Amino acid sequence: MPDKNKLGVGLFLFSEGWFFATLLIAYAYFHSLPANGPSAANSLNVVHTLIFSICLFASSATIHMAARSFKRGQRAAVSAWLAVTVALGAIFLFGQAREYLGLFAHGVTISTNLFGSTFFTLTGFHGLHVLGGLIALGTLLGVTLDGRLAEVKPSGFESVAMYWHFVDAVWVVIFAVVYLWPLVA
Amino acid sequence: MPGTYSSNAFTLAPASPQAAAISSLFIGTLYFLGAILILVTGLVLYAIVRYRDRPGAPEAKQVFGSMRLEILWTAVPVLSLAVLATFMVRTMIISDPPSAGARPDVRLIAHQWWWEIIYLKSGATAANEIHIPAGKRLLFDFRSADVIHDFWVPALGRKIDVVPGHPNRLWIEADKPGTYLGACAEFCGNEHAWMRIMVIADSPEQFAAWIKQQAAPPAQPVTAEEKLGAKIFRDRICTNCHLRGVGPDLTHLATRRTLAAGAADNTPQNLAAWLHDPNTFKPDSNMPDFKLSDDEVRALVAYLETQK
Amino acid sequence: MKDAALPGPTAVESFAQDAREGWLSWVSSVDHKQLGIMYLLGAFVFFLVGGVLALLMRIQLAVPNNHFLSPVMYNQIFTMHGTTMIFLVVVPLLVGMATYMVPLMIGARDMAFPRLNALSFWVQIFGGLMLYFSFATSGINGGAPAVGWFAYAPLTETAYSYGPGVNYWILGLLGIGVGTLTAGINLMATVITMRAPGMHIRRLPLFVWMTLVTAFLIVTVMPILNAGLVMLLADRLLNAHFFRADTGGSAVLWQHVFWAFGHPEVYIMVLPAFGIISEVIPVFSGKPIYGYEVVAASTLAIAFLSMLVWAHHMFAVGLGHAFDIFFALCSMAIAVPTGIKIFNWTATMYQGRVRFTTAMLYAVSFLLMFTIGGLSGIAFAVAPIDWQLTDSYFVVAHFHYVLFGGTAFALFAGVYYWFPKMSGRMLDERWGKIQFWLTFIGFNLTFMIQHVLGMFGMPRRVFTYPPLPGWEAMNMISTVGAFVLAFAVLVLMINIVISLRSGEIAGDNPWDAWTLEWATTSPPPPENFTHVPPVNGRRPLWDLAHPDRTDEMLARAAG
Repeated sequence: MPDKNKLGVGLFLFSEGWFFATLLIAYAYFHSLPANGPSAANSLNVVHTLIFSICLFASSATIHMAARSFKRGQRAAVSAWLAVTVALGAIFLFGQAREYLGLFAHGVTISTNLFGSTFFTLTGFHGLHVLGGLIALGTLLGVTLDGRLAEVKPSGFESVAMYWHFVDAVWVVIFAVVYLWPLVA
Repeated sequence: MPGTYSSNAFTLAPASPQAAAISSLFIGTLYFLGAILILVTGLVLYAIVRYRDRPGAPEAKQVFGSMRLEILWTAVPVLSLAVLATFMVRTMIISDPPSAGARPDVRLIAHQWWWEIIYLKSGATAANEIHIPAGKRLLFDFRSADVIHDFWVPALGRKIDVVPGHPNRLWIEADKPGTYLGACAEFCGNEHAWMRIMVIADSPEQFAAWIKQQAAPPAQPVTAEEKLGAKIFRDRICTNCHLRGVGPDLTHLATRRTLAAGAADNTPQNLAAWLHDPNTFKPDSNMPDFKLSDDEVRALVAYLETQK
Repeated sequence: MKDAALPGPTAVESFAQDAREGWLSWVSSVDHKQLGIMYLLGAFVFFLVGGVLALLMRIQLAVPNNHFLSPVMYNQIFTMHGTTMIFLVVVPLLVGMATYMVPLMIGARDMAFPRLNALSFWVQIFGGLMLYFSFATSGINGGAPAVGWFAYAPLTETAYSYGPGVNYWILGLLGIGVGTLTAGINLMATVITMRAPGMHIRRLPLFVWMTLVTAFLIVTVMPILNAGLVMLLADRLLNAHFFRADTGGSAVLWQHVFWAFGHPEVYIMVLPAFGIISEVIPVFSGKPIYGYEVVAASTLAIAFLSMLVWAHHMFAVGLGHAFDIFFALCSMAIAVPTGIKIFNWTATMYQGRVRFTTAMLYAVSFLLMFTIGGLSGIAFAVAPIDWQLTDSYFVVAHFHYVLFGGTAFALFAGVYYWFPKMSGRMLDERWGKIQFWLTFIGFNLTFMIQHVLGMFGMPRRVFTYPPLPGWEAMNMISTVGAFVLAFAVLVLMINIVISLRSGEIAGDNPWDAWTLEWATTSPPPPENFTHVPPVNGRRPLWDLAHPDRTDEMLARAAG
């Protein structure tokens, strides 16, 4: 019998998957058409994005370590790993923000063309999900630092971890479709 | 007031080979579906009558099902639908023949809430009233100037959406001369209801004459009133819309049977009423009320009546 | 069999208690029974509003060239009628029925997430209020959205819908969507994790099973709609280009995204209704459902296929014969598991003892009305027939037969069946039968003739029409039927009010039914059960009453 809290969060993540899938399909459809103006190939810096993406990918490992420490009741380790996860996630968002500012400076916005519309919608919603995750992680961190880790239910901690892994997995797909695809086409 | 119409708008009264193919398939399907309905109704009515609760009725039998019955009432529907599907594919080919590689004869551009018609060979343009030669099929090319519309003349065949960014093509023909009514069939805004379609199938000679007339340059006004009307037509910038494809081309307005895509019969009185206030027949259409004086309206009507 | 022992608090006593505690206590309630009733009441209010909108439309269409409503007003009204009936009436009624009954039917104390349950309800109501607020926006471009309930682009883009109406439509639906999505998550988690001991998945009451499958569909397709809505909102507010053909976007993409949601949505609106029928017909036939496993399996088949048929709403778009044929074949295929259900429900009545309670009258007429709607649906699956009849009154007739003749009739059956459990009193059967016949006659009078109107070429969504032969008479018949139907709704309201006051006390199990909700008082105590009976089969109360021939024994004897 699955744990009801983790099942609920799992179902939520399943539904979010369909949300992102629809946005991805819209991106992929317009990307496959011939187009003028700014595009993934001529406007994005894959290397820069890869750097802050690696931070996000690494944060999945660190939240996994935090969950392990939580199971072992190691309060200090939990705080440390959570803090690193939050920091890595924040670096990702910071990197994304820098990327957005760069694009704006070059006149690439959501209203410029279909690349702009699909890129900013897709990565924007992903960024919002990262932000939501950071708030959840920050809450966990705060509770831990406050010495009240024992009040956190295992399914609660694991649910936050599941959410974070999901956000990461979605980015793997977005990174491949948006940043890597022009390189192989 | 909208005028008299004939009843040529019935899916089961086909007037073309394309419509006839769909009509036969539809009739056959109706028989098939009707038979199923009679069967199910019979089974249900029998059950509730025969097994109704009444004094002395036997105890309900606690049975759970029968795999054999399940297989039967799965297999029979599957097989019947498979047969229906083969008829369907055949009908699709007859009612919507391929058009790849053929050159279109007519371009139909849908606007909110009127139809622009361009006969590609002669360059003749018309609005709202479509003429075709009876017995000959023409390839229509459909485009939209704004939102999604739909071209539907039931007696002549299938409907086809007119989608901005996605041109569509359809072979259209009528077996015999006559008037065939239709309508825009995709909600397209305020006056979707009055974006009606009239297809007039002429004999070959009549069609040739009609095309010649539509391709001819506009008639020149003769009397003083008509000349005044022509001057008003220019000065009050009617030309801004009506000569630039924003509103229907009025060059041969006097030859058409209706005004405003079927909203009213084409009579001088109706034309005057329209000019006084377009909201009379087609509220919230795109033509503004120019607050024309009675004299201006009279002159304009005189001028427009010359546009044959 | 009415329970002669201690009855639960009657509806009047419960309400008196609430008056002491305050009606406001309901606002903060997280109890699934109270929330279930609130869902039903909220949806009923929207049903009355949506019904009035329909009557206004039918008045305008009663005669040709009518000027009762301006085109702008009519277009807002038909948009709001459709949006209301689908998102604010049918879905919340089904969700509400499930919210109330599912925990009881599985022997649970409440739903998996009671607070989320409350959130689902209130967010849905808020979304509905936001949608209706659009009527209050003023100015020449103000008013409700006027784009139809499926809101095709680019009509919905700012260039063609200048006012804020469409924005309210989007935001309202996003709110309502959150409510529905979280309800779906809650229902799935409840059924999966909170069943009483012994209630294996294969022993689930079919209403619960079909709710589970529906909840899965909800969780899968609501987010697809949400994605489409945010893309449209981006187009309108941020000047994006998703659906604007003039700047490289695709009007057809909206249709794909919308119908990828929209088609499963209609199955979301019908599967729980199938579940209600699967409860009512066996009980009033006195025997178990015929072919339980096949009926359950066919539900899975329908859910799966429902995600492969969306483009049968797009046959007229001109996407090519191969495309049309694929979707036509899948659409025909989905008729098979649906037909299987009709046959199994009918077979359930054979060799039974059919009791003609109002609930059963609705359930039996559901079989016939839904069959009519389903058969016209098969006609539409045949692409060339769709090419003639889509977007005409023939399709208006089709979907009203499946949604009203189908789902609404099933809901009426469910109301008459479960009202005693929820309130402790029986609905009056005499008023019930009057209401049934008025509904049956009014409904068929309104919609049967619309099949013919469609064949005669009348397109849908037109605020008026020319005096073509036959159109006037057919429209008038339809309008008369609509008023008969409205009167029937009034009779239902009367029945509910007088029955709450002085209806016959129901007792635990007035229908002699077999599922767990009948093993507690009417209405149930806050904790639902003082004692959950043992579950050794699909009909726990049958097994208790017939220990010498339980379902398990009967099945073994049948071999």
